[in-house]
Amino acid sequence: MSAPTSDDTTTQPAVTEEYHAGHRRSLAGYLVMPGVLALACLVLYVYVSQQELDSIEARSLNAATLTGALWEHVQLTAVSTVLTLLIAVPLGIVFTRPFTRPIRSYLITLLTLGQAVPTIAVLVLLAVVFLFLGFWAAIVGLVLYAIIPVLLNTMVGLEQVDKAVLEAGRGMGMARFTVLRRLELPLAVPVILAGVRTALVINVGTATLVTYINAGGLGDVIVAGLSTNRVTIQIVGAALTAVLALLIDYLAGIAEDLLRPRGL
Amino acid sequence: MDFVDFLVRRSDDMLELGLGHAGVVGLSVLLATVLGVSLGVASYQRERAREAVLAVTGAFLTIPSFALFILLLGPLGLGTAPVVVALTMYGLMPVVRNTITGLREVDPAVVESAQGMGLSRRQRLLRIELPLAWPVIITGVRVSTLVLLGIAAIGAIVNGPGYGELIFTGLARVGTPVAVDLVLAGTLGVIVLAVLFDLLFYAVRRLTTSEGIR
Repeated sequence: MSAPTSDDTTTQPAVTEEYHAGHRRSLAGYLVMPGVLALACLVLYVYVSQQELDSIEARSLNAATLTGALWEHVQLTAVSTVLTLLIAVPLGIVFTRPFTRPIRSYLITLLTLGQAVPTIAVLVLLAVVFLFLGFWAAIVGLVLYAIIPVLLNTMVGLEQVDKAVLEAGRGMGMARFTVLRRLELPLAVPVILAGVRTALVINVGTATLVTYINAGGLGDVIVAGLSTNRVTIQIVGAALTAVLALLIDYLAGIAEDLLRPRGL
Repeated sequence: MDFVDFLVRRSDDMLELGLGHAGVVGLSVLLATVLGVSLGVASYQRERAREAVLAVTGAFLTIPSFALFILLLGPLGLGTAPVVVALTMYGLMPVVRNTITGLREVDPAVVESAQGMGLSRRQRLLRIELPLAWPVIITGVRVSTLVLLGIAAIGAIVNGPGYGELIFTGLARVGTPVAVDLVLAGTLGVIVLAVLFDLLFYAVRRLTTSEGIR
């Protein structure tokens, strides 16, 4: 494993920040994505409704099945994201306290490498090792995978807060915990929010794969199409998944813009 | 250790799958780097272009890999082609983002003095700006590589090469003892590749960063 250089840890944060900060969209900019997505849905609808569906296709491509899969997918994404944040943000705070300084750069390298572990491997390992299948197995897999980026983002966000500000806080007589609550966390909010968005995007994507451990979601539709060799079903499943992911990312982006503390 | 036995018995497989996995990721990283740096160079000076390029490549990264592989199945068929195209699309965003950041962080005074020395726009870019931005760009390439190593495993769905095959075979045999070995072997293979690629980056970064800023 390469020795972590201080360089590694300083270039990456700067980069994440640059992209997400200073990002003010015009009104037209806000309308592009919903327009594209609506158009994609319309094209998909017209494409499917012009086809003569056989009985296998009709079983998958009806409003009840599709909205059911969609709803499962949204539930998986929402529950896993909330749990991810509840675990990763406090961990990030703990790992940035002074007592972890000697191991911090190794920890960051380890976490970065951990991101290469395939999502599908995490899910399948739960299934084959513990014979753990279904909704909660999927949640465990999703959370395990999404923790890393959120944790990294939280750590980076807290570390980039200007040390002089913290010292000023201490000088004003604030307790350490007050400094954390009143200065560090608010100043790190933009980067933590970027982590939330990352978690949502990762979870909505990985949730497509949980069909392989019997946990439902839109992946069910794709796999139904694959196993029956029906291209139309595959395309509908894949396109709906893509639209949902882009929509969630778009909404998270708006939330990011709105929730950023004033003055930053 | 049963697992070690398994690895020894299947070492030919492990090597072959590893080469396939590394090959498909290596090729995609290369394509993503060439395209990504070009896009970054073409767009970094204008805000509109920058935002558009980042929005589009960011949207690529948002599309779930399972869905993208399936959507590419129609036009490209099964095998390596859809995997390489999908992985290249996923790899673009970190490279583009870091290229733009790196180029924008170059001190304007340095560029101006290069201009004063009579260097053309092209010479300034190739001799001054890109070398100075290189450490940031290569960090982006590294992030891309790690992400792609993981996603490549899902490429087994469309018969792509690599360790994903072991994971999906294991899944199909859930409940049998060999299933755990198969999945663990696939996962371990990807992790080993990640460490190897990371070492490679460390070396490449050292060798390709110009001496003055090392």
